[in-house]
Amino acid sequence: MIQLKSMLNCIDNSGAAMVECVMVVGQKKHASIGDRIVVVVQKQRGAAAEGMSAASTAVKVKRGDIRHAVVVRTRQMVSRRDGSVVRFDDNACVLINKAGDPVGTRVNGIVGQELRKKKWSKILSMAPMQA
Amino acid sequence: MNTALLVRRPLGCLKASLRQTRQQNRVFPNRHMATATATASKRGPIPSGVSIDDHNFYRIIDPKTKKTRTAFAVYTPPETTSHSSTTTTTKKRSLTLPKLISPPADPLPALHAQQIKRMDPTGARTALFAKTRTAARVGDILMVTHRRGGEPFAGVLLSIRRAGIDTAILLRNHLAKVGVEMWYKIYNKNVAGIEIVKRAKKRARRARLTYMRKPKHDMGSVSEVVLAWRKMRRVVATSKAASKAKVDAKAKKAGKAAGAKKAK
Repeated sequence: MIQLKSMLNCIDNSGAAMVECVMVVGQKKHASIGDRIVVVVQKQRGAAAEGMSAASTAVKVKRGDIRHAVVVRTRQMVSRRDGSVVRFDDNACVLINKAGDPVGTRVNGIVGQELRKKKWSKILSMAPMQA
Repeated sequence: MNTALLVRRPLGCLKASLRQTRQQNRVFPNRHMATATATASKRGPIPSGVSIDDHNFYRIIDPKTKKTRTAFAVYTPPETTSHSSTTTTTKKRSLTLPKLISPPADPLPALHAQQIKRMDPTGARTALFAKTRTAARVGDILMVTHRRGGEPFAGVLLSIRRAGIDTAILLRNHLAKVGVEMWYKIYNKNVAGIEIVKRAKKRARRARLTYMRKPKHDMGSVSEVVLAWRKMRRVVATSKAASKAKVDAKAKKAGKAAGAKKAK
């Protein structure tokens, strides 16, 4: 349930750590996994960011930047067609450019399987796991 | 235009006439001339313009055109049909309806039982989440495998939502340091298997362990427990297979020996 002012973790190596949702693209409802949003970078990842090598954390975005992003995890339950439901402990997103390609080169963390249905195959292939 | 139709489909008119006879059959089931005349005299006052044709079938004839303007049948409710044996006149007048069986007071449990029987013919899933000592309980570590492949999901059983065919379980685990919770329907055909990886040491004193979402009580990842269990299971399976193979080999040898003796 990502809406205006929602704070999300950014789980790629674009350089952003925390972002704030300022708009949900293309729909009037709240955003769920696989939806596109517009975010403002609120916190940058430091040099000693956990789980990332110094080479891969090339800072591509800065605090205050306005970027597009794809939601990859939500705290809100997401139900699937077979009746199963998935829920994560945090809200997370991956930054993309306007064409839809990811800004970072790596995704570290689990992403929701709904991305496949919404055709974010690039992000899925970058992710280490999906649930 | 009609002639053209006939040329194209010479048996078209036959079909129409057949349909008419079928409709008549439906409207006047088991109609006899004798009954029609006999009942007509016994009837009470008939409203003007309404002619009684057969049993309780009324037809209103238009006085000008002498054609049937409208027609309707009067059916007696099932209670009166069953009690009408006392008076012969009412018995004759009533159309015999098939006796209606009243539906069961609560049909939903029966429906659920039927559906569960269809989705789980062996009763294994029902037994796994029944309220018995051997069944899986809240706090156990379970593993769910999918029919479509993909990695099986293991986690702590937080709660069981018992709702007939919709019965579902909530599993919680940590994947890549992020807590993930999954609800699974236990009677889903896509769920290939549900296995108990580890039993809880103590019986949980709550029905739903939602407190395990808090950092203080969070179990963390269960992947190590699952790995250990898998390793152990593989050892057991291989040892079993080995012993079975040995037995088979012995039997084969014995059989061969017997065959050789017979040949001698």
